[in-house]
Amino acid sequence: MNVEGRRRRFEALAPAVIEAVRRYLVRRTDAATADDVLSETLLVCWRRLDEMPEEHLPWAYGVARNCLANAERSRRRQARLFARIATIDPPRPVTDGPEPEDDELATAMARLRDADAELLRLWAWEDLTPPQIGVVLGVSANAASIRLHRAKEKLREELRKAAAAAGHEGETEGSRP
Amino acid sequence: MTDDELRARLRRADPARDIAPASPHRFPLEEIMTTATPAPPRKRPLIALAAAALVLVAAGIGWLTLRPEETPTVTTQELRTVQLTATGVQAKCVEPTAEVLAEEADFAFAGTVTAVEGTTVTLDVTRVYRGSAADQVRIAQAGDSSEQMMGSGKFENGKKYLVASAETSMLICGYSGEADAEGLQGLYDRAFA
Repeated sequence: MNVEGRRRRFEALAPAVIEAVRRYLVRRTDAATADDVLSETLLVCWRRLDEMPEEHLPWAYGVARNCLANAERSRRRQARLFARIATIDPPRPVTDGPEPEDDELATAMARLRDADAELLRLWAWEDLTPPQIGVVLGVSANAASIRLHRAKEKLREELRKAAAAAGHEGETEGSRP
Repeated sequence: MTDDELRARLRRADPARDIAPASPHRFPLEEIMTTATPAPPRKRPLIALAAAALVLVAAGIGWLTLRPEETPTVTTQELRTVQLTATGVQAKCVEPTAEVLAEEADFAFAGTVTAVEGTTVTLDVTRVYRGSAADQVRIAQAGDSSEQMMGSGKFENGKKYLVASAETSMLICGYSGEADAEGLQGLYDRAFA
């Protein structure tokens, strides 16, 4: 494999990957972990450049997703170790980024299964199509499409419940005279 | 609420909506390209493995108890049984490497399946690569395990397996499987040399 060509390809696609993956990580973890995982993701992308498809972002998200899972596993292990030595604050939930102002949405998302919430994040935040989501999650385009559809339905349902609990009329409770 | 409205509402809650673009110089591309390049000769054999691992949709991260149990029936020799469980989370696999295996695994062994009862698989340990000695390992698996492992993908009576676990979870994604699955033995030999 031509080393120069490889370098040029990596240098050409790296900026877009860095920007997209950084956002992906900021949405899902704290800043320090995001930096570490981004570097690791880039390293994997460089090593496996030959496997990287033409549409590289969904593939890169898939790599980042896995690197993040590894990082969080080590962090959980570390947290358990520290917990034995001293009492520490519990690890912050992944979704605990800048405070979302839409409380109903936050409540509704929190009530979904993680997998459903992640599908919705990939769809709305990373702006991916179902086939691209399939690449990230390692499932078929068809499966991703069906799961996304169901996740949207579940979110709508939870939003209705959250709205009702907050005392407004739910959006589809239109049967009143 | 239409799809567009739903998406717009989610986007307003996007934690990364307002972050500034990163400085392109913050990430040492040059360093990555120079430090990672020398690897290929050793990595080559792993590429086939990587492809196989990519196909694996893995279920796995479990809450296991890795706990020694004294078996009262044996008195002359301490018989240590290790209990592992694996429950399902979907994960996309990256290339398995000896480095990661060496770093992640706190227990790794070779063993032969002596019983498969319901969701519990019992293996007699033939060699411990890492961790304290054990004679028997029981793995309780949740759900269908057919895509978890290298080789045929499931535990079968009489066959030999290589299994690694980390802090109570069985490592899958190309890190555990049939002992004669392509590349797996080599991976173990390198990781636990």
